[in-house]
Amino acid sequence: MEDLLDISALIQLRVDGQFHELDVLPSRTLLDVLRDDLGKKGTHLGCKTGHCGACTVMIDGKVAKSCITMAATLSRAEITTIEGLADDDGSMHPIQQAFWDEAGLQCGYCAPGIVLSSLELIQDNHNPSTKDMEVALAGNLCRCTGYQSIKRSVTEACVRMYPEKK
Amino acid sequence: MTKGKKPSESYVGKSVRAKEARAPLIGKAKYTNDYSFEGQLYAYILRSPHAAAKINSVDLSGAKKISGVHLALCGRDVFEHTNGITDHLNPAIFGGKSTRLPIMAVDEAWCYGQPVAIVIAEDERTARYAASRIQVDYTPKEPVVDAEKAIAKGARSVVPEWDDNVLIYVPFMNGDTQAAFDQADKIVTTDVKIHRFSSQPMETRCYNAVWEHDTESITLYGTCQNPHPLRLVLAETLRMNENKIRIIASTIGGAFGLKMHGHPEEPLICLMTKLIRRPVKWVENREECLLIGAREQQHKVEMAFDSDGNMTGLRDHFLANIGAPSACPGWGMAFLTGLTMPGPYKVENIDVHMNAVTTNKPSWNAARGYGKESTAIALELAMDNAARQFGISPIDLRLKNFITKEQFPYPSPTGLVYDSGDYGGVLLKALETIGYEDWKDKQKAALAEGRHIGIGMAFELTPEGGTIPGTMVAGYDSSSVRVGPDGTVRVLTGITSPGTHNGTAIAQIVADELGIDMDRIEVLQGDTNSSPYGFGNYSGRSTIVGGGSAALAAKDVRDKINAVAAALLEVEIDTLSLSEGVFSSSDNGDATVTFAEVCYASYTRAYDVAMCIDPPLEATRTFKPPGISHLPDENGRINPYPSYSNAVYVVVCEVDTETGKIDLLSLAAAHDCGKVINPILVEGQVCGAFAMGLGGALTEDVQYDANGVQLTKSFKDYVMLRMADMPLVGMAHHDSPNPDNYLGLKGAGEAGVGGSAAALVNAVNNALEPLEVVIHEMPLTPSRVWSAIQNANNSEGVK
Repeated sequence: MEDLLDISALIQLRVDGQFHELDVLPSRTLLDVLRDDLGKKGTHLGCKTGHCGACTVMIDGKVAKSCITMAATLSRAEITTIEGLADDDGSMHPIQQAFWDEAGLQCGYCAPGIVLSSLELIQDNHNPSTKDMEVALAGNLCRCTGYQSIKRSVTEACVRMYPEKK
Repeated sequence: MTKGKKPSESYVGKSVRAKEARAPLIGKAKYTNDYSFEGQLYAYILRSPHAAAKINSVDLSGAKKISGVHLALCGRDVFEHTNGITDHLNPAIFGGKSTRLPIMAVDEAWCYGQPVAIVIAEDERTARYAASRIQVDYTPKEPVVDAEKAIAKGARSVVPEWDDNVLIYVPFMNGDTQAAFDQADKIVTTDVKIHRFSSQPMETRCYNAVWEHDTESITLYGTCQNPHPLRLVLAETLRMNENKIRIIASTIGGAFGLKMHGHPEEPLICLMTKLIRRPVKWVENREECLLIGAREQQHKVEMAFDSDGNMTGLRDHFLANIGAPSACPGWGMAFLTGLTMPGPYKVENIDVHMNAVTTNKPSWNAARGYGKESTAIALELAMDNAARQFGISPIDLRLKNFITKEQFPYPSPTGLVYDSGDYGGVLLKALETIGYEDWKDKQKAALAEGRHIGIGMAFELTPEGGTIPGTMVAGYDSSSVRVGPDGTVRVLTGITSPGTHNGTAIAQIVADELGIDMDRIEVLQGDTNSSPYGFGNYSGRSTIVGGGSAALAAKDVRDKINAVAAALLEVEIDTLSLSEGVFSSSDNGDATVTFAEVCYASYTRAYDVAMCIDPPLEATRTFKPPGISHLPDENGRINPYPSYSNAVYVVVCEVDTETGKIDLLSLAAAHDCGKVINPILVEGQVCGAFAMGLGGALTEDVQYDANGVQLTKSFKDYVMLRMADMPLVGMAHHDSPNPDNYLGLKGAGEAGVGGSAAALVNAVNNALEPLEVVIHEMPLTPSRVWSAIQNANNSEGVK
């Protein structure tokens, strides 16, 4: 596919705190770049149509579906994946800990997206209602839990992250 | 680690946090697609756009010209290199038909989406592009899409060498059903239509086959529920020795039966690496995943009752549209639907006929419930229909007809032996959990305002841990417990996890048996080179047989450890106690020795203190649930299930009669899975199954056009429930332990799809009762509900 190289785009991404300068073809998604070029396998492919949310990441602090985000459109962007939440020593972010303790996942394939969508919600709204959660997580499918333990996990995460609000 | 667990207490019964859940949460779990290897190549599979067609020619030259393409093969090329795929469950064992199952279409395509050609290239994009340059010349044929038409006289046979399209017909007969119907006070007929919906795990299938140059063997990294049985299938299909194949089923992103083997891509990708000698990966896309069908059945349920409302006879002649022939075990779902009739009801006169019909739709694979969900849907819709016609409460009709506590073990009219249960108790507990009487009041009040609230219930009997003689669907499984010289433990088990965290349940069991902290235990699953020979995950069996066998092995190892501890402390074994990792003895005052010290001595002092045991500290044991019987009774029937979990689901919904839209208001389930090892994990299973069943009953539907072309291609068309669609589930356990299984386990993962779907349909019919509208066809989309209401209005007008 060498003939396409001349129309590739140069992009600058800071992914989970690390800077990358990449030459990307117009057909490549952010998910392709994260998984194949940067080895960020924690972000998952579920449907390639933007419906399931397994590929959810944060772009400049806002959640987005990386499977339908074309990498070449991100000339400079700050990306947070699920791998960017834990500390360097491996200790979990409180929201991850809450999901772990409350069984907010089973197979775990959707979990990275669900955790990031939940985090975006509770960073803005420290005491979300069930309705707020349903809106924030409308773009994330989970096939295992029936969502019950996810709601419980989000509530628990708020208690841990913002104890003064409860 | 454990909520509220004190050191002296057992792990079993506690909501222990799942060990396996940490890795996905930090993005470090290794799913199959996360593996890539030096020299990795990628496959793209070209599929038939026709449901039925003659393949006149496949011209691969366009693909072969593309730079980066390593190989392009058509079905005939692959045929030359392989045998037919070995059936997961051969219908011929049960008197059904079989046929050679080619990996790809050869000369003839028999369903939409059947593999026709494959391209291997340096990257996925090149492979996909090259496949678009393959020229296939088809002559389309009139497809056989509908099951009724498929068995009509003169229908074309999907498999040319067969006389008709019935893959297998099985009658399940007992007593004198004709007499029961002749003498009946009332006969209630219910036509139930169950549509095609499938399990759709979030992770699609993926196979990465690696050629091992040093040993001339294949390692398959695959999304696979049954690694050892798949290894045998691959060996037979690829004409290799079984010991030249290793399967690593890594972390699985949900399975629900869909990742049981028989899929053509399993041997196909392995063949590619055998031919090219480089790693080859194939990742299923969602459209391909949606090809895998399940559950489409149509029932005519007839129930005969005496004047007291006792069911005296059951007839059900049903058709299952199982699609094109396949090596996957999907067709067996229809068999199980018949075998598990009449569910929880004590009627003895039955006349059930199962017809599994081959068509030009894509094939089925197993899906959570494995046909038992369809039994529940057919029976429970019919029971509500009968209750309406009698004008009595659906609760009373069920209580009157349930098998009672005292009747266990209960021999069913199809030859099963139900181990234990309290069906009436489960129903009453579910109703109490939802607050049935309160909802009845709210329903009345709402109706006065012109709003239609409905309350529906359904029972689901879910036999678990099944096994079929002469197949690799085994009833038993094995585990090894290995305690190292430092006192830490590896458990290797033949069962696998589809993402349910059964490894945590097994660790809880082993920790209790060894008397040590769970943090010292690692559970390893899914690698055929390290696990004992095992059959993997299906039929709610993993904790029953994985946990049961691990417990037996742990007891053996604990006996060795105790012997060495007693020798070290110079006391009798029965005076020992182990607390927080330290052995002491009632006979030797203050003397203590740690668990780890005992383990080290077991390895290093084989000729003095530890002479009393054979090192190492390892044991491999098998648990064979004793409830299974493969020796036919006087009627030639067997009991393939050791355990009969059961549950009741209750749904409260409101139907908007203007639009046909259904809103879920409240949900509850009461569940009898025997002893609960880990409540938070079991509740997760129940809630997940509830959502899957409701999704099936409401919106999930794989549709085809008249030509058998699949219209449902993405999650935009295949609508699964989202968070806002799912109210909280009120959960209750009502356990009657299995008398034969370790800890009384009955199985917890599979149940719920049928019971929850049926409860939803019953709730909708209950809501629409004032309008005299009854619907027995799923899914209950707004348009179907609205149309039913309109039709009822119109027919009233005609009267």
